[in-house]
Amino acid sequence: MRDSSKLTRRTMLGTLGVLGVAALAGDVAAPRRAEAQPLGLQETGEEALRRVFGGRPMKDGSSVIKFDIPAIAENGSLVQTSVAVESPMTPVAYVKRVWIVADKNRIPVVFRATLVPEAGRASVGATIRLGETGDVRAIVEQSDGTLLAVKREVKVTVGGCGG
Amino acid sequence: MRGLSAVSDIGKVRIRIPSSIRPGDVVHARTLVIHPMERVERDGQGKVVQRNYSYIHTATVTYLGKTIVTFETTQAVSENPFFSFSFRATDPGQLKVRFLDTTGGDYEGTADITFA
Repeated sequence: MRDSSKLTRRTMLGTLGVLGVAALAGDVAAPRRAEAQPLGLQETGEEALRRVFGGRPMKDGSSVIKFDIPAIAENGSLVQTSVAVESPMTPVAYVKRVWIVADKNRIPVVFRATLVPEAGRASVGATIRLGETGDVRAIVEQSDGTLLAVKREVKVTVGGCGG
Repeated sequence: MRGLSAVSDIGKVRIRIPSSIRPGDVVHARTLVIHPMERVERDGQGKVVQRNYSYIHTATVTYLGKTIVTFETTQAVSENPFFSFSFRATDPGQLKVRFLDTTGGDYEGTADITFA
């Protein structure tokens, strides 16, 4: 009886040791991100949407989302975008999140912006990269969980350097 | 596209705000950070080269000590990126933008919000 319990304890300690080492190694190797799943992965646009939004319904947001992005991007490595949402920004109803997803990029998720009512207006933008011609989506999540989306096709001139 | 910014400039932050702000205005601001935002490299066979790429993964905007907007970003954001955002200027005080990259880089810029 005593022997078997001792064995169990040994095994237990060994397992804990291995786990400890694994955790340490993970700490060193992983980039400094707190979240379990990285935002950007090498995947298709479809996979990205499924992974991030899990098939949640998305309404057409064209009446409230103003998505500024050029129709033709001569230089895909620098494309100006901005997303402004006509929405109240009060503690009871506000725009909580804005994503930009470029379907044809090797890493489709470009950014996720998280806002608070004190922003006063849901208006965010960034300079982004587009690998090739394709749809770019602006997706908005309101504080009640409603998702709204718009998309624009952007033609990316191949060859870069303004050619 | 690489090499446009000297290594020593990495992490320089600039913030642009309107010259005249009145109390209660919703202010639109822009910020720039000098950063290579390294893109994924591929070898001759088209296989992704696995290494710790240096890129900004988080940009946080705080005003009067409160977080207003957080951008979580991927390598699909451009080199030396610009970000734009809004905030309601209620009181004079500090607007701060902080950028974190995947190599432990932590870069900050501030602007003083004053009323004309």
